Amino acid sequence: MAKTIMVIDDSASIRQVVNITLKKAGYDVVEACDGRDALGKLTGQKINLMVCDVNMPNMDGISFLKALKASQGYRFTPVIMLTTESQESKKQEGKEAGARAWVVKPFKPEQMLEAVSKLILP
Amino acid sequence: MEIRLEKTEGLCRLGIEGEMTIYNALDIKKALLETLDGPARLEIDLSGVSELDTSGLQLLVLAKKEAKLLGKELRITAHSQATSAVFELYNMCD
Amino acid sequence: MEIDLSEARQTFVTESIELLQEMEGALLRLEGSPGDQETINSLFRSAHTIKGSSGVLGIESVERFTHAVENLLCKVRENEIRIDKKIIEVLFECRDHIQVLVDCASSGAGLSQGLLSREAELVKRLGSCIGGRGDAPDKTTEKETSGAEAGEGRLAATNAWHISIRFNGDLFRNGMDPASFLNYLAGLGETISITPLFERMPAAPEMDPEECYLGLEVDFRSEFDKKTIEDVFEFAREGSVIHILPPHSRVEAYMDMIRSLPEDFLLLGEILIKGGALTQHELDEALDMQKGEDAGAEQHKRLLGEIMVNEGMIYPEVVDAALERQKLSQASRSKEARTMRIDANKLDSLINLVGELVISGANMGQHARRLKDGWLTESASIMSRLVEEIRDNAMRMRMVPIGETFSRFNRVIRDIGRDSGKDIELKISGGETELDKTVIEKINDPLMHLVRNAADHGIEMPEERASKGKAPKGTVRLNAYHDAGSIVIEVSDDGRGLSRERIFKKACALGLLSPAQTPSDSELFRLIFEPGFSTAEQVTKLSGRGVGMDVVKRNIEALRGAVDVESDGRSGTTVRIRLPLTLAIIDGFMVGVGGSSYVIPLDMVVECVEFSEAERRAANRRRYMNLRGEMLPYIRLRDFFGTQGQEARFENIVVVRCAGQKAGFVVDDLYGEVQTVIKPLGRVYRDVKGIAGATITGNGKVALILDAPALMEGAGGGATASNLN
Repeated sequence: MAKTIMVIDDSASIRQVVNITLKKAGYDVVEACDGRDALGKLTGQKINLMVCDVNMPNMDGISFLKALKASQGYRFTPVIMLTTESQESKKQEGKEAGARAWVVKPFKPEQMLEAVSKLILP
Repeated sequence: MEIRLEKTEGLCRLGIEGEMTIYNALDIKKALLETLDGPARLEIDLSGVSELDTSGLQLLVLAKKEAKLLGKELRITAHSQATSAVFELYNMCD
Repeated sequence: MEIDLSEARQTFVTESIELLQEMEGALLRLEGSPGDQETINSLFRSAHTIKGSSGVLGIESVERFTHAVENLLCKVRENEIRIDKKIIEVLFECRDHIQVLVDCASSGAGLSQGLLSREAELVKRLGSCIGGRGDAPDKTTEKETSGAEAGEGRLAATNAWHISIRFNGDLFRNGMDPASFLNYLAGLGETISITPLFERMPAAPEMDPEECYLGLEVDFRSEFDKKTIEDVFEFAREGSVIHILPPHSRVEAYMDMIRSLPEDFLLLGEILIKGGALTQHELDEALDMQKGEDAGAEQHKRLLGEIMVNEGMIYPEVVDAALERQKLSQASRSKEARTMRIDANKLDSLINLVGELVISGANMGQHARRLKDGWLTESASIMSRLVEEIRDNAMRMRMVPIGETFSRFNRVIRDIGRDSGKDIELKISGGETELDKTVIEKINDPLMHLVRNAADHGIEMPEERASKGKAPKGTVRLNAYHDAGSIVIEVSDDGRGLSRERIFKKACALGLLSPAQTPSDSELFRLIFEPGFSTAEQVTKLSGRGVGMDVVKRNIEALRGAVDVESDGRSGTTVRIRLPLTLAIIDGFMVGVGGSSYVIPLDMVVECVEFSEAERRAANRRRYMNLRGEMLPYIRLRDFFGTQGQEARFENIVVVRCAGQKAGFVVDDLYGEVQTVIKPLGRVYRDVKGIAGATITGNGKVALILDAPALMEGAGGGATASNLN
């Protein structure tokens, strides 16, 4: 049974890169374009992991993470935060919100796969 | 997740169906302790477990320890593919 | 594993174009209100996203330059730098440069020397905006802790790594599962032994099932370096105690590790021996050096017994039929994102097929009716309803709002204003009006021309406007709305308007009019769409090169549209473009003249009336009839197309309305409504006036689609319907 990963990023091309990479590795992928969109899509189906950008319109990654941690059904879902080196302060904020896994943009597809497989079983 | 508890003469059998993960950890702990409350022979059937994570495994260890403390016999009678994969990772099968 | 990202690159290009569009919009807004934080954020986000995506896709040229832009924007966002006109100007130019870079990346072209020096110049200017050097990447120095640490003491014999972890209690709550670390680790080498420790776990009543009590002692052979092995646990590092001892570490290092851990010394020692990290001898030696800590073998045994509880939990013989259950709980297929991008070609081919389906559906309907088979007719009518729905849905997929096209002109207007010293504002309305994507693409150039004309020639300099009593700020307006199956786009300005005298003079000079003629305004103004007609006294770089309005007209007519102009000397000029909603399929009304069939776009048909004998006689000389007291100009299609053959005894008149005018088309037969797929005419027929296209009818014959606006020009001569009484 393939695991399902949700990718939340406002950049369609980043979503696509992650999507292609993860699908190739055998995961199912759900996409959302920002935090709000993602919350809207969390309607009970099993999500094994999320990959979430920090800087997004409508609802940014940190607010999304807080909302996620407060939700009953998804609070223990591992989240990989996507960040850039220039966002050190964001990283601190993210840590406080419960983010533990980070992948720094720009990343190579392989790096994304590595991070994912450190967090969930295939 | 679904928990079936069958108590017969001298034997208590617990069947867990579905996910044995952190999301259900509280309920599973409760069910395990209830089982331990029963007769001297206890069985846990994991064949219906679709997913087991380390928190679930930790609870099984707790049950084992607790059973030993109470002087009861606790056996895991069946595994699913999902559970045996995790047991193997932890080198907990032989 | 080969991962093909070419598709993602295409998405990147599309997405960047959108983001650059947003950047432009944001910059334009910033000019009006430089302090607007929301706009600054959006600007930053756009640059940030472009940088991020280009980085991921390895498009270095874009990433490098956008990074420099992002740096400045970051400072602006953090209020370290106040945004001013100069910065906005630089950012505009940078935006344009990013666009060029994206274009290069998309076409695969390398960067020319010119582009590189342009980039250098922009980066320098960005740097001067920041004040000081543009971009200094900070270096992180990685302190390398070497494997076998130097120092005194005996080295352990083992060639394996020893990993010892006591996980953070919050690990599960943070969404992590150590099982996946172990699984990942297994991929890096050969696991010799794994010992899970739950010694920290309290008795059942106090045990919190969401707390992680796990510890691990792992012995592991691997060719990878320490960093890679450490990084297996990178996400768990926080709050966990991790010791990683490389092969052949000093025995003392193991001892230090054991001492620092909460579990019993002997227990851990035993684990190390079991896993092969240390030999019994090595441990004993170490213990000998340990003073007073001769804890005794009894306790030692007991503890070991304890951990064995953890083992033997599995009974291999019962790993069983549970597999079957697994397969049942297939996850529901993941839902894709709500919007998706589709290759326009795929959509076109779908629509083409739907078009064919419409034809064959009509064909079947006709056969069914001829056979007078009730069931067949019923089925055919259901099918044709479904086909209609498919058609509507397919068409709707092609419809996009025109607003985005409109808003591109903000930049055009801004640049004209800046270059000419005029104060011009662009007002947009009706941006939500939808029309076919191909139409939108093709209308862009004509619109560009009209907007430039309006700003360049229409709007006066502020002083001139003031002297005329107008507001110094000129307005160019873009408006769109639906009207009777067409879409109307208006480009208007409140500038000086068209000059009758100048156009008249020019028309005479070109031989289009003779000086004796006195054309009406609309007749005269229509001449500006003639080739070679430009009255601009001053040729600017933007417009007025004498090519233009005729090209605009040709382009619009190629879209089966029409264009007209309205102006008065004071309040400016309005150019009105009328376009069909879609290019592919129309609902039509089929009529017959002689043996030929014609299709009139249904939206234009108002009514059909009999063309009585009396009217025919009365109308013989004049080209209009009395329709319930209204004067209706008409045209006999038989005459217009020079149709041969016997005149019909009874004729009908189809009343058509277009652009606020009514006219009648006299035909022999009325066949009723049809759906038709427009097939373009071949080159020979393209210039035939009055025909917009052709279509194939249900019975396989060709019918011509009438170009009603063009015909009406012939019929009414532009006369508006007026009352006879």
